[in-house]
Amino acid sequence: MRPRLDLLPLAFLLPSILLIGLVILWPLITGFDYSLHAGTMLKQGRFLGAGNYTTLLGNEDFWHALRFSVIFAITNVAGCYLLGLGIALLMNADIPGRPFFRVAFLLPWIIPSIVSVVSWRWMIADAHAPVNLLLKLVGINPIYFLSSDIWAQVVVFAVKIWRSFPFMMLSLLAGLQGIDKTLYEATAIDGATRWQAFIYVTMPQLKNVSIVLCILMTIWTINDFETPFLITGGGPSYATENLILMAFRYVFQRNNVGIGSAVSFVTFLILTALAIALLRLQRDRG
Amino acid sequence: MMAGQPRPRRGLRLLAVSAIAAAINAPIIFMLLNSFRSTEEIMASASLLPDVPTLVNFVFLFARTNYVQFFFNSFFIAIASTVVTVIAAALAGYAMSRWQGRLVGGYARMLLMVQMFPIILALIPLFIIFRVLGMINSPFSVIIIYGAVHLPFATWMFRSFFDSIPRELDEAALVDGSGRFGAFFRIVLPLSGPGTAAVAIFSFLASYNEFFIASVFLRDEAVMTVPVGVQMFMQQYATDWGGLMAAATATAVPTFALFMFVQKYVAYGGVEGGVKG
Amino acid sequence: MIASLRRGMLAATLAIAAPAMAQAQTVLNFWDMIWGPPEYIETAKKLVDRFNAEQSVIKVQYRSVPWANWYQTYVTAIGAGTAPDLSTGAGYQPVQLYEQGAIKPIDDLIAEMKASGELDDFQPGTVERLRFDGHYVSLPWAIDIRVWLYRKDQLAAANIAPPTTWTELRSAAKALTAGDRYGLAASGDTGGSHYIYSLMINNGGGLFDDKRTLTTQSPRNREAMDFFAAIVKDGAVSPASAGYDSASRRRAFHLGQAAFILDGPGLPDAAPPETRANIGILPPLAGPHGDKGTIAWTNSIMVYQQTKHYAETKTFLTWWSRNQKPLWTEGHAGPMPARKSFAADPYFKDSALRSFIIANYLPVGKTTGANAAGIFPVLNAIEGDGVVQSLTQEILQGKDVGPALAKAETKLKEIVQ
Repeated sequence: MRPRLDLLPLAFLLPSILLIGLVILWPLITGFDYSLHAGTMLKQGRFLGAGNYTTLLGNEDFWHALRFSVIFAITNVAGCYLLGLGIALLMNADIPGRPFFRVAFLLPWIIPSIVSVVSWRWMIADAHAPVNLLLKLVGINPIYFLSSDIWAQVVVFAVKIWRSFPFMMLSLLAGLQGIDKTLYEATAIDGATRWQAFIYVTMPQLKNVSIVLCILMTIWTINDFETPFLITGGGPSYATENLILMAFRYVFQRNNVGIGSAVSFVTFLILTALAIALLRLQRDRG
Repeated sequence: MMAGQPRPRRGLRLLAVSAIAAAINAPIIFMLLNSFRSTEEIMASASLLPDVPTLVNFVFLFARTNYVQFFFNSFFIAIASTVVTVIAAALAGYAMSRWQGRLVGGYARMLLMVQMFPIILALIPLFIIFRVLGMINSPFSVIIIYGAVHLPFATWMFRSFFDSIPRELDEAALVDGSGRFGAFFRIVLPLSGPGTAAVAIFSFLASYNEFFIASVFLRDEAVMTVPVGVQMFMQQYATDWGGLMAAATATAVPTFALFMFVQKYVAYGGVEGGVKG
Repeated sequence: MIASLRRGMLAATLAIAAPAMAQAQTVLNFWDMIWGPPEYIETAKKLVDRFNAEQSVIKVQYRSVPWANWYQTYVTAIGAGTAPDLSTGAGYQPVQLYEQGAIKPIDDLIAEMKASGELDDFQPGTVERLRFDGHYVSLPWAIDIRVWLYRKDQLAAANIAPPTTWTELRSAAKALTAGDRYGLAASGDTGGSHYIYSLMINNGGGLFDDKRTLTTQSPRNREAMDFFAAIVKDGAVSPASAGYDSASRRRAFHLGQAAFILDGPGLPDAAPPETRANIGILPPLAGPHGDKGTIAWTNSIMVYQQTKHYAETKTFLTWWSRNQKPLWTEGHAGPMPARKSFAADPYFKDSALRSFIIANYLPVGKTTGANAAGIFPVLNAIEGDGVVQSLTQEILQGKDVGPALAKAETKLKEIVQ
């Protein structure tokens, strides 16, 4: 009876295991192998051992990209969480036309990345673009967003938050709707204010879903290629280059597959460590 | 707590939500409006609304690019990869819903790994595999990759649908003598019709929207998808805002239309999976 | 999809028909970058049709390749085993792809042309520049070059004579800056990085010395960068420039929002008709030490190792090289022709701008390798990587030249080693 029980689920899992094996596992192993060699897309080079990794440690771009990836993840998770929770709380209240707004708030998330980038580039294109016209109304001089390191970073953060907050909002809204109403009634009897109810009932009830959401959002942000690539291409002067863009630049522009693979492999290790640590945290507390 | 609040408060809230929704969707609204204005008007006019709505941008777009071909390619790739994802994910989701143990646990961890895998790490090895298989500049390379990349969310969604179908039904089928596969195909799967539709449309959208993988593997205009085509257009006509907005609008229309069909399922499997990263 | 299906069906039909046909046509794939305005592609297609009509042995299929991500396009095709038989390409593409084993040298063709004297028709140095590793890796067809252009209307209105030296350019740019107008148009992309290469070479410097050693921080380069930075500090460049791409830079120039621009010879052809007459050309500017020079690339046609029809490819390549004059006269190709006989056509002779470029700019043009002879694969990585773009952006942002140049050198060293 026992072996049958193991074989049967295996039969069900087989197609996806094959797919994952081909697209993820095998490339993971060979990708690691590439990171130990010199070489180009068309020709593998000589064995370097850990050479590519030691080169990385001494490479300023790598540390910059790592720092930018981390800041990118933190701002995006924080921004999406605040915006998502705020709108979810509003939507959880009694609002006329709720289904309409639900769709309206999801739009930035469902449209293709290239579409959101085209529309955002127009918003900030020049001194006469909508965002600068708005700034002019409040008496601020036009900002040339893509010409300044800091502002280019801000634009990348903003567009990423814009593109991904709806997912956060949706999941938190589902979480809010799942909270047992009697908990609020109990606190109301105790004479708690709305703020206290939020702190002592709502937030603890959302804790688990929030942790999972933040882990996922961190992983997705660190893995994001499209937002910085399509808006700034990593510029000006590498200011918005994250680890994925750096790997891309080494593979496709510098024609150095070894270093490019090493950067992506390091990214993978960081994400794995992060996911394990956060899942442990959740298990210990939860 | 929710019902019976005074009217003004409700009105105020409606106003606030409307304002936020309008602000958040401003880039999309501008894009739509600008796609019907000539580039000269966009650059010269201080108004944000079209003075004289025109279709010149769309005419230019369809005349100057292979947009129709790009759409055809995108649809083919999205449909085929959806079929791959749905078949693999439905089977795996069923296994995760009905069994526990080391195999299923290990598989669940593997799914998590897929979710956080930086796909760029796989691009070069995949490039080499597909080169050997003669599948570069071919839609099939991208179809297989999408099939795998979209597995985690699809599997998690299927699992939550299957969890809601009582196990007693499978067992009844087992007693009838139609093994596990019979129970799955004859009882469980038909009962999750709406769920399957939702998974299918989500993986369709995710494939249709994807840019990175497509831009690496599809470099021939005959096989390019819409996002890759738009990016090429964006580089070639960087200051032709009218044309760009038309390209973006035309690209977003199918996404939007399909999303309308599934938006009510969107909360399913909510936390565990997501349409895109 | 449909196209590949059609291709498959065509192949199947050919396979069935082949035994019946005494002499099957050889099909060659020729990929051509977009070298000019829309009429360029039309002209090139017509030219290919002419070749196909003139003989019945070879049928050439023309494909126009956009510049966006061109390197990926070629690497992907080579990787897929679907490389063309021959193609035009970026300046250093032949050497870089040759190094990876993808390019077939054309030593025999060059030898034949030398024997017949045809080789003398090419501008001096162009053929030899494409010799790498003891082989001729491709055949030159054009020379792309960056030249200084100006708005005649604006200089006339301000009563300023066209500058001939750096000092004059700087003071003119400053004088022409007012309100929304700036003296100099610039951008932070690849087209913007040409300002850097050009100014360095102009001052007798450049990224490499004659031994192919990096000389990024040489005094002459430093001086050139200080000059560029000074124009930025004067406020004579739009503060948005670092975030501009070439299209925005050109647009500013065409709209009269900038008086000077460094760009290709094809810029006026792509300008709106009403501005075209207002565009003039400056002579190669004299640097502080009297040097002159600018960045130039030899554009060439290369043959791929994957070709199964080398003889036919050679036939077409020779024909194309001899007959491609309409690409300029009708297609308005941007770069200047590599053949002297084409340059003698009225299209060039009768155009003040084009004949001026051929007479004055071509002799002072140098490659990204600057003072190094020939071209070498790493130049492609340098242009592709964005180091110099990033240096351009930092200077346009008004950052200090010293650290920016030092940073660029560190990165260039990583690429070169």
